[in-house]
Amino acid sequence: MKEWLNKGEHWIWLSASTVSISVVLVLSLLAMISYKGLAHFWPHPVYEFNISGPNIETTRVMGELHESKNKVVVEKSGTKTLIPQYLIKMGNRDVFGIDFKWVSSKNVQGKMETLAKDAVVIERYEYGNVYGHFSSFTLNGKTTTDPKQIRTELQAQVAKGKALHAAINSIEKYDMGTVNKQIENLRFEEKKLRIKGNFTPADESRIKAERAEFQKTFVAYQVEVKVLYDQKETLGEVALTISNGQILRVPVAKVVQFWQPNNMSYVEKLGFFFSAIGHFISDDPREANTEGGIFPAMIGTIVMVLLMTVFVTPMGVVAAIYMREYAKDGVVLRLVRISINNLAGVPSIVFGIFGLGFFVYIIGGSIDELFYGYALPSPTFGTPGLLWASLTMALLTLPVVIVSTEEGLSRIPMALREGGLALGATKAETIWKIVLPMATPAIMTGLILAIARAAGEVAPLMLVGVVKLAPELPIDTMAPFIHLENKFMHLGFHIYDVGFQSPNVEAAQPLVYATSLLLVIIIVSLNLGAISIRNRLREKYKALEG
Amino acid sequence: MSVTKMNITLDGSNKALSLDNDKIAIEVKNWNLYYGDKQALMNVNMQVPENRVTAFIGPSGCGKSTLLRCFNRMNDLIDIVSVEGEMTLHGDDMYDKQMDVSALRRRVGMVFQKPNPFPKSIYENVCYGLRLLGIKDKALLDEAVEWALKSAGLWEEVKDRLDDNALAMSGGQQQRLCIARAIAIKPDVLLLDEPTSALDPISTLAIEELIFELKKDFTILIVTHNMQQAARVSDYTAFMYMGELIEYSSTDNLFTNPSVKRTEDYITGRYG
Repeated sequence: MKEWLNKGEHWIWLSASTVSISVVLVLSLLAMISYKGLAHFWPHPVYEFNISGPNIETTRVMGELHESKNKVVVEKSGTKTLIPQYLIKMGNRDVFGIDFKWVSSKNVQGKMETLAKDAVVIERYEYGNVYGHFSSFTLNGKTTTDPKQIRTELQAQVAKGKALHAAINSIEKYDMGTVNKQIENLRFEEKKLRIKGNFTPADESRIKAERAEFQKTFVAYQVEVKVLYDQKETLGEVALTISNGQILRVPVAKVVQFWQPNNMSYVEKLGFFFSAIGHFISDDPREANTEGGIFPAMIGTIVMVLLMTVFVTPMGVVAAIYMREYAKDGVVLRLVRISINNLAGVPSIVFGIFGLGFFVYIIGGSIDELFYGYALPSPTFGTPGLLWASLTMALLTLPVVIVSTEEGLSRIPMALREGGLALGATKAETIWKIVLPMATPAIMTGLILAIARAAGEVAPLMLVGVVKLAPELPIDTMAPFIHLENKFMHLGFHIYDVGFQSPNVEAAQPLVYATSLLLVIIIVSLNLGAISIRNRLREKYKALEG
Repeated sequence: MSVTKMNITLDGSNKALSLDNDKIAIEVKNWNLYYGDKQALMNVNMQVPENRVTAFIGPSGCGKSTLLRCFNRMNDLIDIVSVEGEMTLHGDDMYDKQMDVSALRRRVGMVFQKPNPFPKSIYENVCYGLRLLGIKDKALLDEAVEWALKSAGLWEEVKDRLDDNALAMSGGQQQRLCIARAIAIKPDVLLLDEPTSALDPISTLAIEELIFELKKDFTILIVTHNMQQAARVSDYTAFMYMGELIEYSSTDNLFTNPSVKRTEDYITGRYG
């Protein structure tokens, strides 16, 4: 035993077990959010069964099993019994008022897991899902009652509805948006001229004419959209018998999609699963973010992180060069270093407050006064937005980049600098052409850490530009393509918002996991990109370090 | 402080090898160097002849590398170093306040103890100095690279792989590449700081032969720990000890007939 201790084996075991625990924790975290998040997209079977209420009356319940847990009941005799409780997603919010219901297995008559025959799930643009059975389908006064035929017709009409929806969306969002912007610009132009004091009658009539022109286009679009809306109204209406026997009529215009999970084969379910994931990634959120996709949040996160990288890299690298290559070693430099290291430990919300106070109000406010005076009192840059969020994040991650760049610079052998200097290069030339390129792997390491930190940060972003629902993406096809003054959505904040601010907690829960999973995937892929660049650079300079 | 004498005895059999007969490239007068408070070079006086190889020998820490690094002002990089005295290159005061250090270093090239090629291609390594001068003409660069590599005896080995990374070469090749890099900008003087101490005997031989070739075009100063090497390659040898220049004369003279006892002790191996 003593010999064993002397060898230090116990230390090896201790460190190995710590490593294993960390690995297990990371893996289980990933496994949990993957399972909980991805399960949301799988078409769950729909069950239908009766439960008895407190007054012996029977209620029929139809829905998906969302969660089950055991309730512990301790009887007087001391014996413990476990009573399974089921959380059933019943849908039909417009009828029942609630989506979810806890059911105790004690009240279930027969078996809970009884598959509802030919059950239909309809996802609607509003009020969530409908669970029921096909009753009839009405199109142009013609009514069908054969479930098979309903299915075929509904499928065709839903596809048409989808196309119309996309067309309306495109006109409303892009074409009408553009015209609106142009009208707004005219208003600004007029205001600018008025401020300057040379608003001539000629200008007035010109602007008036242009505005009339734009308004005409706008009206034309409105007419076009109206036609599409009317078409949408004529797509027909499906009627379903829901669990309480009521007939629920759903116009096709309100249907996102429908499926019959109990009739699907495994392959069909798999197809549904992937298409659901696709929708989640590429669609806009609906219903206070508890339904639909997270596309804008994803884009917002990526754009913000990339913009932050653009800001933080030059700042951090230049600061590190000064500190490592030019600054004289002494008390001041040491103080600066200590401050930078401490800056990394400042709570992020403090950075958020600073960003709001300094960037948004002071700098943004001044920019507005100087360049966007015509738009006041509505602020352009004097309000939280993408630019300020990225700058705040750049400030937050600056210490990481400075420290790792400095370390990288200090590892470049003196001999190489001397080699450059001996050839008549100035110090600056040596640094820029020899030292800095060789320090790029270290700079990349700093950026990887910065990206991971910035993409996961929520608190400061809430103060400097992230919103629950942004009307526009921060990047689009309209010049200047990236709109620095826009507010944006962010996955981290989205998780918080959906998880904690949502009126419909149970419906939101799987989305929280799915969004978390996506956030992790995005951070990992941004990091992998940076790591692969770093590895390529390392390969290039490898021989030197050996 | 002992008085350092220019103890050059005219040797009738080797009349050419006399500082009186040679043109002088570098002149050092009353040169002192301090690391903070510590004096590292003490009142050094010497003349370095043009197109000759001058070797510096002496035990470790005697100041020979420090002196060598004075000739291209590499010691400027160290904050605590201060110097006094006069040092001229072809009559120009090297430590003049108006002197452009980069221009001086272009006139006085240097090769270091450990090969230090840049992590770039062979071609880019050689033309680095030329690019710094702003030369962009590809034909001109090609010509200069070929000349430098030929002069460094490396052309035949690398002419087919000029775009390969210089770090992939052997140590001896890397050192010759560093020499090629240094001579590509055609300096007047070439400083070699123990250029073969990190190399195997065959590479060492190649470098020594190269030094013999290069002295036609350049004034060469070499620091070496290896007395045989100094005897083989140099025309003049300076023996330094504890920051002082003890003896300086033609190599034959110094090795066969040292005038100072300490020099004799060192070259006969009585120093540790």
